[in-house]
Amino acid sequence: MASFLLRRLLTLAASLGVTSVAVFFLLAVLPGSPAAVILGTQATPGAVQAEKVKLGLTAPLWDRYGHWIAGLLSGNPGVSYISQRPIGPQIGQALSVTGPLVGLGLTLGLLGGGVLGVLAALRNRRVSGALLSSLGQIGLAVPNFVAGILLVIVVGVKLHWLPTGGFNGWSQGVGPALRQLALPALALGIAEAAIISRFVRSSVVEVLQSDFLRTARAKGLRLGQALVRHGLRNAALPVVTVLGLELAGLLVGAIVVEQVFNLPGLGLLLIDAIDNRDIILVQDVVMLLAGTVLVVNTLVDVSYRLLDPRIGLDA
Amino acid sequence: MRARLRRPALAALALLAGGATANAATANAARPTGAARGSGRILVVGSQVAPPTLDPTVNASAAIDEVVDYNVFQHLVQLQPDGQVVPVLATAWTTSDGGRVYTFTIRKGVRFSNGDPMTPADVVFSLENVIHHPKTFPYAADLGATSARVVGADKVAVTLTAPSWSFLFDLASYAIGDVLDPRTVSRLATDPIGTGPYTVTGEVPNYSVTLGLNRYYWGTKPGVAGAEFRYFSSADAEDAALESGQIDVIDNLASPQELSTFRSNPSRYVVVSGLTNGKVQLTINNAAGPLSSRLVRQAISMAIDKKTIIDVAAAGLSVPIGTDTVPSDPYYIDLAGLYPFDPAKARQLLARAGYPNGFSTTLTLPPYYYAQLAGPVVQSELAAIGIRAKIDNVQWPLWLSQVFEAGDFDLTIIDHAEARDVANYANPSYYWHFSGARQVASQLAAANAAPTRHRWIAGVRAVLREIARDAVNDWLYVMPDLSVHLKGVVGLPDAFYTESFDLTHAQFGGSIPARLAKAGYGTR
Repeated sequence: MASFLLRRLLTLAASLGVTSVAVFFLLAVLPGSPAAVILGTQATPGAVQAEKVKLGLTAPLWDRYGHWIAGLLSGNPGVSYISQRPIGPQIGQALSVTGPLVGLGLTLGLLGGGVLGVLAALRNRRVSGALLSSLGQIGLAVPNFVAGILLVIVVGVKLHWLPTGGFNGWSQGVGPALRQLALPALALGIAEAAIISRFVRSSVVEVLQSDFLRTARAKGLRLGQALVRHGLRNAALPVVTVLGLELAGLLVGAIVVEQVFNLPGLGLLLIDAIDNRDIILVQDVVMLLAGTVLVVNTLVDVSYRLLDPRIGLDA
Repeated sequence: MRARLRRPALAALALLAGGATANAATANAARPTGAARGSGRILVVGSQVAPPTLDPTVNASAAIDEVVDYNVFQHLVQLQPDGQVVPVLATAWTTSDGGRVYTFTIRKGVRFSNGDPMTPADVVFSLENVIHHPKTFPYAADLGATSARVVGADKVAVTLTAPSWSFLFDLASYAIGDVLDPRTVSRLATDPIGTGPYTVTGEVPNYSVTLGLNRYYWGTKPGVAGAEFRYFSSADAEDAALESGQIDVIDNLASPQELSTFRSNPSRYVVVSGLTNGKVQLTINNAAGPLSSRLVRQAISMAIDKKTIIDVAAAGLSVPIGTDTVPSDPYYIDLAGLYPFDPAKARQLLARAGYPNGFSTTLTLPPYYYAQLAGPVVQSELAAIGIRAKIDNVQWPLWLSQVFEAGDFDLTIIDHAEARDVANYANPSYYWHFSGARQVASQLAAANAAPTRHRWIAGVRAVLREIARDAVNDWLYVMPDLSVHLKGVVGLPDAFYTESFDLTHAQFGGSIPARLAKAGYGTR
């Protein structure tokens, strides 16, 4: 077990290292310089060069990479080229929006997908089951930005039930903050629920046909009891794995949904940084996203093998 | 061409939001602040590009001036929406030494928002700050001054490098005129301290800047409790926020297509279409192959129908121009008819230039909506005379490095937002590579040294005619600034000759003094 964990950790570290090199050098060859963006269109070539020196953009690439990585490892993501502000607090602020948004989206997705999936499985091969499955297909087919816009128009602009967007921070209180995150989380959660429901459905269908469930029924349990006591735990295993993988999708979805609802999260931070060629900020945010996905995948990998003893640790 | 970056909106979003013209009731359950109407309420202004920093002395972004100029920082003289230069932190000025020295009388009893008194020494510090950092202070060259010094108890004398008929205008228009508190300059990026009616009380980067009232403000307090600029990455989110009452104003709509939503409900919205200093132009690289021929450039000018471009890219809300000047300039001349739309004549000119079958070229477009909308029109109009233009869409930083810095392009469409920037035609290394730049430089120098304003105007006009005859670029139209606000927000500017969104006289309801209404502050 220890050697398995060690191997996993080494793989994780290597993946993060390769990612950092790829992120840094891909962005380094991107045309356009933050110095030109800062100085605008009345700048002379001399002024742009002076600004580049000031920002440290004239140092050799490997030096800049080393400096960046050393900073990251010591917990210092650096200072934004454009705003000259430390990046750490900016990312922290953005995470206080994106984190809860992804969490809420995932929760809604799990609840909706779980209920929908179990129902669809129980009504397998019936018209109502097919209807539920096609509901899932529709949820999957509608991109989350379209769902978001529809929610804005119907719930926000027409009905005035919830704010159309914006986020005034957690200092306004948990209630108002959650109100502002409700529609974006729903937009994110709909597609997620659709995806999860498909996995839950097929997983539950499989469990329903399994020997151990038939045994449980034979003992005298009703279908619902058998499912709750024995079935769902088994059906949940593949779903847990999928959840880990879905996190990447949720993060990407959050970036799009933040645009639609104008939330000051990681997505807004990243896109503004790209627009301004604030390369160091782009590097940090992309590393954070990639790192999160890699770490979660590793955790899922490990937990999956721990949860299901049938899977060998050496595999 | 000061950057007001707009993200290209997802087409689907625009369609859907356009269909959602809400006849929304004024009552609004969604307003998060829940504040009531009246002076106790904060004015929320929606805009598109967040300021990357609040320090206008280190970054040229127009988004910085939108918030802090005039609202937080004031100048010795400022520009009213009607284009008049009026005294603000100065009370009067005189000129001497043939127009080379301006002596300002500094207003007494003015305090910065932190309580520090504003002194003539602070004015000198602020101007010297521009003079000593010409490379990194945006628009420093526009000041054209060599020194500033305190003379007497309440006067500051500014010596110019050469007499200039634009000095007061430049001092009023750009952040080079901001009067700073020398004791606070190290914190400008997050905590700018000025003498204006507002002071910055909060900021969420890329999302919002909150302004509170400056309790030491020397003038009449605004009729709002404060202001918040909130930034929207998508135009649809911004429109929805105004429709649901979460914001009161949109400064500068992302694209004229959004207008229909607001125009159809005049009892709720006031649409303001103000002109700016911006000249939207088809910039021609005068050094690139066939484009180096004056006949070819003239042919291009005759192939493009400005009216169509204005209809498509500016919802018809602008006026055509024919050289590097807009109607608010003192030296404005209307040369829009110099090259009338005439494709047949354009083809003849091309043939005379040696291109009877036209040629292939590239039209590089920045991500701004006007360029994105006008680009395909220009492409098809050029195709009609045989010029095959390939459209190349680039991001703004790439446009800056490839087109502007390296001059590596054929044609591009861009808004030259700077006021009175005809001096760009005197710069031989400017990105359009105008071959007559040196001659224009001497003509302009002579005009600026003219002993009378009348002769200065005549001299500049000669240059404007010269560059139009040479068809250096194809000037298309004046960039309009389209703003929308809820009815009853009064005192907002109705023209935008600076980057500031001037909230000095903003108030909820009521009426504003007649002199302000006359100066161009809105009354509805």
